[in-house]
Amino acid sequence: MNLMTFSKYLPYIFEGSLWSLGLVLGGLGIGFAIGVTFSLIQVYGNPLLKRLISLYVWFFRGTPLIVQLFLFHWSIFPALGIKSTALTTSITVLGLRSGAYQSQIFRGAIGSIEETQMLAARALGMSNWDAISSIILPQALRIAIPQISNEYSIILKDSAICFILGVMELMTRAKYAAIATGIALIPYLIAGLIYLVLTYIGTMFFNLIYLKMRIPDSMEG
Amino acid sequence: MSDEIVLRVKDLCKRYGDKAVLRGVSFEVERGEVKVIMGPSGTGKTTLLKCIDMLVKPDSGKIWLEDLELTDPRTDVSEARRKIGFVFQEFNLFHHLTAIKNVMIGLTKVKKLPKDEARAIAERSLLKVHIDRELWDRYPAQLSGGQKQRVAIARALAMEPTIMLYDEPTSALDPQLTREVLEVIKELAEDEMTSLIVTHEVNFASEVADEIMIMMDGRIVERGDPRSIIYDPRREETRRFFNKIVKIGDELR
Repeated sequence: MNLMTFSKYLPYIFEGSLWSLGLVLGGLGIGFAIGVTFSLIQVYGNPLLKRLISLYVWFFRGTPLIVQLFLFHWSIFPALGIKSTALTTSITVLGLRSGAYQSQIFRGAIGSIEETQMLAARALGMSNWDAISSIILPQALRIAIPQISNEYSIILKDSAICFILGVMELMTRAKYAAIATGIALIPYLIAGLIYLVLTYIGTMFFNLIYLKMRIPDSMEG
Repeated sequence: MSDEIVLRVKDLCKRYGDKAVLRGVSFEVERGEVKVIMGPSGTGKTTLLKCIDMLVKPDSGKIWLEDLELTDPRTDVSEARRKIGFVFQEFNLFHHLTAIKNVMIGLTKVKKLPKDEARAIAERSLLKVHIDRELWDRYPAQLSGGQKQRVAIARALAMEPTIMLYDEPTSALDPQLTREVLEVIKELAEDEMTSLIVTHEVNFASEVADEIMIMMDGRIVERGDPRSIIYDPRREETRRFFNKIVKIGDELR
C-alpha cells in the first residue's frame, strides 16, 4: 500500500468530520436544553427535584463516557424497549452527559446575577416565570457563552470515543483507513488535524456570538 | 389633595430571627399626598417599604392598596405590584436592556401592551424625568448614577402606579447627582403623584413632604408637618436625630 492508494481514503475521512460535527451539535443542543432546565430547577425548584438533579449530575460527571455509552446502548435502552442505533445512542448520551455539565455552568451564571435584578422584576409586577425568562436567563446566557464554547471543544473530543459503538465519525473512519491501508500514523494525524480545525472554527463562532451579545459597558461600546 | 385613602398600613410587624424590625407600624396615605419617612439607619424603613410592595412578607398586620388587601393570602401580589412603583436605592436597572427597553419591559411583559404603544409610553416617561432622546439607547453601564436613577423612576412611572415608593433614592449618589434626582421626584410630587419617600435629605423633605414620619426601632415615634417636625420636634430623640444629620450635612459642605 502506498500513499497514492491512501489518498483515496481522504474524502472518506473528511466525511467523518460531518458525523463528528453532528454528534457535537446534537449533544450540545440536547445538553443545552437539559442544562438550562435543570439549572433553573436547581436554583428555583423544590428540594426533592434539586436532590434528583444532584444525583443525575453526580452520575454523569462521575462515570467515564465509555461506560455510559455501553450502559445505554446494551442495557438501558434495550431494557426500556427503545431501538437505538449507534448514532442515536451516541447523541443521546453525549447530550445527557453535557446536560449535567451545562446545568452547572448555567447554575453558576444565574448565581452570579445580583438578587436585586429579580427583586426589581418582581417589583414591576412580573411573575416568577416572566422575571426568569426576560431578566435572569438573558443575562445568564450571556455570562455562560465562554463556558459553552469550552463545553463545545470538550464534547468534540469526547465524541471520538463514540467510535466504540461504531458510529462513522472521524476516529472510526481514521481507524478503518489505517486498517485498510496498513498506514498507521497518517490517518490519525489527519483526524487530529481536523479536530484542531473544528475546535478553531467552533471557538471562533462562539467568540463572535459573545462579542455580538456583549452588553456595552462604556460609551464606545 | 383629596381625602381618599390610597394606602393604609395597620399594625405591621416583621422580625428577622430574634430582631424585631417593624413593631406595629400604622399610617395612611391619601391620594396626591407625599409622605416622607425619616430616621436613623437600621430602624426598618426599607423593610417597611418592601413589606408594602409585598417583596418581604410581613409577619402580622394588614396593608390595603385602595380597596385591595395586599396581605390577604388570596390576593395576587404580582397583579397588585403593578400599581405600586418601587424605586430602589441602588437603581436596579436591568443590565442587559437599554434605557428605553428598561422602561418598556414592564409594559410589554406585565401589561401585555403592543410594542409601539409601550414605546410611546416609555418615551413620555423618560422625557418626564428629563432623560433625553440621545440617552434612550444607552445601556445602564453607560449612564451616570443620576441618569440611572431617573430611568428607574421612569420605569416605575410608566406602569401608571397608584403610589410611588422611594427607598433612599439618592443615598448611592454624590451631591451633584442627588440634586437632579430630587428635582424630578419633586416635580412628580407637584403633579399630585402619591408618594411615600424614605430619605435622609432634610431640605428636600421639608420642601416636598405633606407629612414627615420619624421612625425609630421599628416604630413611628413622631409625625407631623415638616416645619414642626424638623424645627420643633416634641421628642428629644427626634431633635438629636436631626442635629446629627444636619451636622453631617454641614461637614460635607
